[in-house]
Order: sequence, then C-alpha cells, then structure tokens
Amino acid sequence: MSENWVLKEDEAVELLALLITSARIQLDEPAHYGPLRLLTATERLSGMIRERSSDKSRAFLQENIERVPEMRMAMSDVESYTAALDERCRAVAACLLRHSAQAEGES
Amino acid sequence: MSEAVLNNIKTRRVVREMTDEPVQREQIEAILEAARWAPSGGNLRPNRYIVLEDAETRRLIRLVSPGMFQRAPVLILVCTNWQVAAEHHLPATDRALLIDIGTAGQTMMLAAHALGLASGPVTSFSKEAVKIILNLPETYSPEMFICIGHRAETAGAGMRAWKKISWRDLTHWERFK
Repeated sequence: MSENWVLKEDEAVELLALLITSARIQLDEPAHYGPLRLLTATERLSGMIRERSSDKSRAFLQENIERVPEMRMAMSDVESYTAALDERCRAVAACLLRHSAQAEGES
Repeated sequence: MSEAVLNNIKTRRVVREMTDEPVQREQIEAILEAARWAPSGGNLRPNRYIVLEDAETRRLIRLVSPGMFQRAPVLILVCTNWQVAAEHHLPATDRALLIDIGTAGQTMMLAAHALGLASGPVTSFSKEAVKIILNLPETYSPEMFICIGHRAETAGAGMRAWKKISWRDLTHWERFK
C-alpha cells in the first residue's frame, strides 16, 4: 500500500466544503442529483491528487475519472447513466485489487 | 417583431465551461442595465445584484457551490432584499419574489448572449456559506448566481434534453374539456 501523500491540507478542506454543502443542498434537490454531486466530488478529488499519484493510479484516474464531466450531462438517459456508473464501479474495483495485490507483495 | 430578438432567445444556451478571459466592465454594466428592465411583480424591484470579479472570492464561492461547474470570470449574485418585501407587506411565500429572480436571471442571460458572452445560472449552493463569505446584510438572501464569461472551445452541448419537445407540447389552447 502506497504511503505517499497525494492530497494537501487546503485541498482536503476544499473537498470537505464541497461534500458538506452538497449534503445540505441535496435536501432541496431531486434525489437523482445525489450521484451528480458525488461525481463532482470524485472529479475534484481526482484533479487534486493526479499529479502526485503513482503512474498506476494516474492512469486509472485519466481513464475512468476524467471522463466524469461527460456523464453529468447524460442524466436524462438513465439506462446509459447507470451503465456508465457500473463501468466506473468495475474499474475502481479492479484498481482496488491491484493496490491490494501490491500491498501484499510488499508485506 | 425583431427577428434578431427571437433568434437571441432561441440560440442562448447554458454554458458550463468558460475560459478565464476577462469580461469588459462595460459589458457587465450593460447586463445589469438589462436586469433593471426585467419585469418585477408590482414593480417593487426587491432584487439586488452583487458582482464578483475578485478571483479569490470567486474561488471561495465555487467551493461552497456544488452546482457551479463553471470557472467564470464574473459572477452576478441575484439577492432578494427582504427589507423591500417587508416595506410592501409581502409575505415570504409570495410567488412574485421567486418570479422576479427568474425574470432578472433570464434577462441577464439574454443580454449576455446578445453581447457575445456565455452565461449559466446556478442555484445549487449553500446559502448560509455564501452569506458568510460575502458578509451579506441580514436583509439579503442569496438566490441565484449568473455566471458570465466566454464559452470554452471544449464546452459541451449542455445538458441533454429529457425528451424532445416543441412549444406545442407545452401549450393548451382555451378551456380543458
């Protein structure tokens, strides 16, 4: 498991601001905006950590997270939207497995 | 009726990706002047506009505005001044207050489009956080940001329509039977 710091304190606070304000405004918005806010946080986090991430993680971010903005505009197509999110979930699971395997190899 | 006006209405789009090219002061003032002519319930004009150009203020606002995807060089915040509402005995639930926000916002976006600028409304933000960041007077409530700037080449077509509609789908003539 990599112990490199990839997030600065200011960036973490910015992400925290996005998450807490998202939680509040979600109370006033349609339920399907919830995934949209989480995707926005995902995209911002990706942008924050990209440069300091390992090559492996950076490739994952470029391939799977940087295309998130395109998905935002596709909410009206629920089937495609769901399929795209499922695809990201599979990709993140594969990424977790790679990190896990690497950690086990190092221990 | 002017074809140019109708064309301006039909071709305006919400733009969520903007460049950091500055907007001229005269253009901002022209947009605010247009808002001054927006229809207002009872002609009471309870809206107040706060223009934000300072980069750090805009950055902070964006951090508490999950719905603000744009990095716009200019933000115009439409506020309701509740002092005006109180002076005219308008209850907080009076729909005219909400309608005024909408007419002002649309008028500003059409004005921006007529000036060759991009625009987009944002209502998904924390009102409480915005009040703190801008040190708003107690009687002001922040209602809607209008992001103003220049459209980025990378900007997409905008949010896809839920379904294709024409004005006919939205209209019913005369009484329902």
